[in-house]
Amino acid sequence: MRVSLLWLQEFIDLPTTDPGELSGVLTMLGHEVESYEILQADWSDVYVGRVSDIAAHPDADKVRVCQVDTGSGPEQIICGAWNFSEGAYVAVAKPGAVLPGDLQIGQRTIRGVESNGMICSENELGLGDDHTGILVLDGEPELGIPFAELIELPDVVFDLSITSNRPDAMSLVGIARDLSAHYRVPYRVAPRPLSPVPGSPDIAVKIEDPIGCRRFTAREIRGITIRRSPLRVRHRLAKAGVRAISNVVDVTNYVMIELGHPLHAFDAATIAGDRLVVRRASVGETLVTLDDVERKLTPDDLIIYDAEGPTSMSGTMGGARSEVSERTVDVLMEAASWDPPTIMYMSRRHGLMSEASRRFERGVDPNLTDMANARAAAMVVELAGGAVLEGVIDEIATPIGPLTTDLTLGHVERILGPGFTKDEVTGILESLGMEVAGNDPLTVTVPTYRPDVTRPIDLIEEVARIHGYDRFPATLPVGRAGGLTAEQRRLRTLKSALVGIGLFEAVTLPFVTQEDLSGFGWADTDRLLHVANPLRDEEATMRPTLLPGLLGAARFNVARGTDSIGLFEASRTFTGAPSPMDARLPDQVERLGWVLTGDAGPSALGVAPTRADASVSFSVLRHVMAALGHRGLTLQPQGAPGFHPGRSAAVILDGHVIGHVGELAPAGTGHFQLPERVAIGELDLAPLLAPAPLAEAVSPSPFPHVDFDLSFLLPLDVPVGDLVQATVEAASGLVESARVFDVFHGPGVTEGNRAVAIAYRLRSAEHTLTNEAVKPVRLAMVAAGESLGARLRGA
Amino acid sequence: MDSTAALDDVLAAAPAAIDAAATLEELDRVESGLLGKSSPVGDVRRSMGGLDPAERPIIGARLNEVTERIQGMLEKRRAALEMEREALLLEDDRIDVSLESHSFPLGALHPIQQTIDEIVDIFVGLGYRVADGPEAELGWYNFDALNTPPTHPARLESDTLYLAHGKPEDEVLLRTQTSPVQVRWMEEHQPPVYVVAPGKVYRQETTDATHLPVFHQIEGLAVDQSIQFSDLIGTLAHFSREFFGPETRVRLRPDFFPFTEPSADLSVSCFACDGGQPGCRVCGGAGWLEILGCGMVDPNVLEAAGYDPAQVSGFAFGMGAERMTMVRHGINDIRHFIDNDLRFLSQFR
Repeated sequence: MRVSLLWLQEFIDLPTTDPGELSGVLTMLGHEVESYEILQADWSDVYVGRVSDIAAHPDADKVRVCQVDTGSGPEQIICGAWNFSEGAYVAVAKPGAVLPGDLQIGQRTIRGVESNGMICSENELGLGDDHTGILVLDGEPELGIPFAELIELPDVVFDLSITSNRPDAMSLVGIARDLSAHYRVPYRVAPRPLSPVPGSPDIAVKIEDPIGCRRFTAREIRGITIRRSPLRVRHRLAKAGVRAISNVVDVTNYVMIELGHPLHAFDAATIAGDRLVVRRASVGETLVTLDDVERKLTPDDLIIYDAEGPTSMSGTMGGARSEVSERTVDVLMEAASWDPPTIMYMSRRHGLMSEASRRFERGVDPNLTDMANARAAAMVVELAGGAVLEGVIDEIATPIGPLTTDLTLGHVERILGPGFTKDEVTGILESLGMEVAGNDPLTVTVPTYRPDVTRPIDLIEEVARIHGYDRFPATLPVGRAGGLTAEQRRLRTLKSALVGIGLFEAVTLPFVTQEDLSGFGWADTDRLLHVANPLRDEEATMRPTLLPGLLGAARFNVARGTDSIGLFEASRTFTGAPSPMDARLPDQVERLGWVLTGDAGPSALGVAPTRADASVSFSVLRHVMAALGHRGLTLQPQGAPGFHPGRSAAVILDGHVIGHVGELAPAGTGHFQLPERVAIGELDLAPLLAPAPLAEAVSPSPFPHVDFDLSFLLPLDVPVGDLVQATVEAASGLVESARVFDVFHGPGVTEGNRAVAIAYRLRSAEHTLTNEAVKPVRLAMVAAGESLGARLRGA
Repeated sequence: MDSTAALDDVLAAAPAAIDAAATLEELDRVESGLLGKSSPVGDVRRSMGGLDPAERPIIGARLNEVTERIQGMLEKRRAALEMEREALLLEDDRIDVSLESHSFPLGALHPIQQTIDEIVDIFVGLGYRVADGPEAELGWYNFDALNTPPTHPARLESDTLYLAHGKPEDEVLLRTQTSPVQVRWMEEHQPPVYVVAPGKVYRQETTDATHLPVFHQIEGLAVDQSIQFSDLIGTLAHFSREFFGPETRVRLRPDFFPFTEPSADLSVSCFACDGGQPGCRVCGGAGWLEILGCGMVDPNVLEAAGYDPAQVSGFAFGMGAERMTMVRHGINDIRHFIDNDLRFLSQFR
């Protein structure tokens, strides 16, 4: 809402006009001043003058010689415009004046005749693009005053952000009311007296929808003349950001800015059958609105009809058929009270957000219709002539009276703290126009222009607002025991572990495109969760897996020249299955996903870096599991959608499959345009974060160790992990560590086998191991290997 | 020449000879030339047996003294030469420290997560717990329970992403705010409640430099027997000082949210210029940064969650993690957060 300070001052005598100070006050009243603009005349030395005489130029027939009085006797000015006659009031740029565009006005001689200045057009003053001639002023303004005063310059315009609960503040009187409460000075609405003539409108109004239309007030003004509004009116509207159209339309906007009540003017002659009916529309009906768009009406639309059909969209936009035009002679001025949700839905349905609908959908004072209507009618007569008929149409379908609520001082103190006396609370509420009776509780009657105040807490808010938020102390509530849960702490541990091996946390959008989903290899499209009203196709489907998003991020990086990538994300995935938490909701499981490609792990000069692949992915898994203290981990070699079938495994923790780890299938690397192998993994987060069994501490053995290596020939189909596990188990608890240090197949190794070399360290917790004691253990370990089909090499 | 004179000569010549030794090997040679068997000192030592018994102790004492003094000089020189050799060895071992020959990888948490963690930790320090809730949410929790009736503009489709799921009356949607977590927490816990809820929120929004359809909010809620407006101010002032620096001042101005009454908008004094600098890169010269919306929990919200607003009161606040991060790090395009460009992410290690 744009507020002109000079216009506002018609409603209140402010103790200051300093724009910075007023901005602060308005902001602290809840009407944030987003900016303010100091408007100044874009010219100097232009004054109001009167053309007292016009004569022909002796030597030029396109110009005339005018005598112009600016209060100190006539001055001779030559003027080329012909749109005025003797007696016209005009804007005169005196010699020395500077006009917009740095146009210097001096004394000149035109074909032998002296000219002392210039009679200005709107265009020359930068006020508009009217080229029809010079600016002829309305009325009989005082001669010699600076012309800028007529259009109220200099002035300040505040740009206020009005919160949606304060429709009353979308008006000068509303702003004045709040300032009045703050400064404790009265505000006023200068009267516009109405002198009606006998007679009543021939038009009858019928409200058939008392929910949608609470009240319909109208007056008829007959015999008007449509023309431009006076300069001051047009410039006030311009400051408010409203385009001047014609005097009658300008009046509706002018009064709306002043009082906050939108109005609509019908050309009375266009109302067919002399009757207006307010009701919901029927299917198939259409209405051409003022913007010349044909609107298809729905049964929820609230429409004003005449005998020929729809003629206006209530509270939103008038119809083209009943629009006020240059030919209009009789005007029916309407001010009605509309149901806010009805207007809100209708204006959005039709994409018609107008100044009127913005106010009505928030709630305009239902008891303001008559006052706004009378004010507009009086102003139409001032600007357009004609006469207002005495008879008023005022249909009240649903009367709405002021609301009364009780407020205890204890409640005020409970929310706002101690120190609010009855006098202060009463004073504040009364300053806002509320009536306060009683002692404690206070019985407060709230005027109908404040639809936001219905409950005691709303009154408390008003007390806090006018008291001033900046006057409250700062205190802290008594502390409570808080903290992160074990799962929340473990999530941080998990993320730190991944960061510690060089992975970056990614945040990807929780949507997935069909292309990326199928490019990744996800086949199960039946259970996807879809957005019902996506803005774009890319945001129409919720991701059932984190991996396409992470792979998309990898693609983005590769395209920008970064080829070594390590990303992880811990976030939700969605399917259309019912959630175990609440069956009404879709399943939304938190998962951990990672994607690595290119160099991974530590690097050293001159040493070929490790390249991400399936085995790196398994290392990430083991690292995560170790960091979280999970011991009961097994891998079941198998593929999954998107995963390379031969280089991936299901991850089994405590008997449950919690996800898959391995390598992206070649089709996926192709789709995501990734040049190398891609290590991927995705696990359910909840089992990872579930507390792992506490480690039971074992005192390190003080006895010396025995180290030896075993080199096996192992059939290709036997997992190395099984061999390690079997040999370790055969050593009956003596193996402190077992490390595979070489795996080789090729020349020198029997076909269908791998050579696997394992370094063991054995140590007893009870005694020093002797060679004698180790021998049978070693044999048992070898035997365990053999039972898997392995043979000791070189044996 | 008698023995004493010989010893005196040796002692006089020793310092120059010892200093002249440039290496440990040369010093060894100097030592045997001075004190060895075939040296003048060796000659004296050998001649001792043939000396007059009266003279022997005198010569002997002199011999010992000269020997010790020379040995002292030799040791000093040896120590110096050893240090020199050590230094040379170390010099040979010198590396180019500017050459990054090895590197351990280090990733980073996403900057948004770092902001969230830091904010959460400040409130955990005040005794808050951390709550989580579903992102695919029921209309009841996202709107009705938060005093946002069906006729509220925020419920219109233009802002909310609805899901094609479940019954129409359940209005399954992608939560537009983290506030529904408040309600769910209150349903499951009795007061006192001190809780923060970080998480993703969704809006039907066109992506540009300042908008994303998915972003992160951090919601806070305190409900207790005697929570007052000043507690809201004090808590957020503490938070602001912890997050933006100890000199930070806060300012509240009235605002409107359906789920709080009274409602406020909190600004903090600009941490970059403290309000003193026109055209400041952070605040643009305004001196203040709007960072969060807050207010006293509306009684309708307490009631919807099953609390008695006559018994308990509370405050709530909500802020955007993206905005907090952008303000702090001078990030000018919100899309950086979802591009996951490693050249961007690695700046936040």
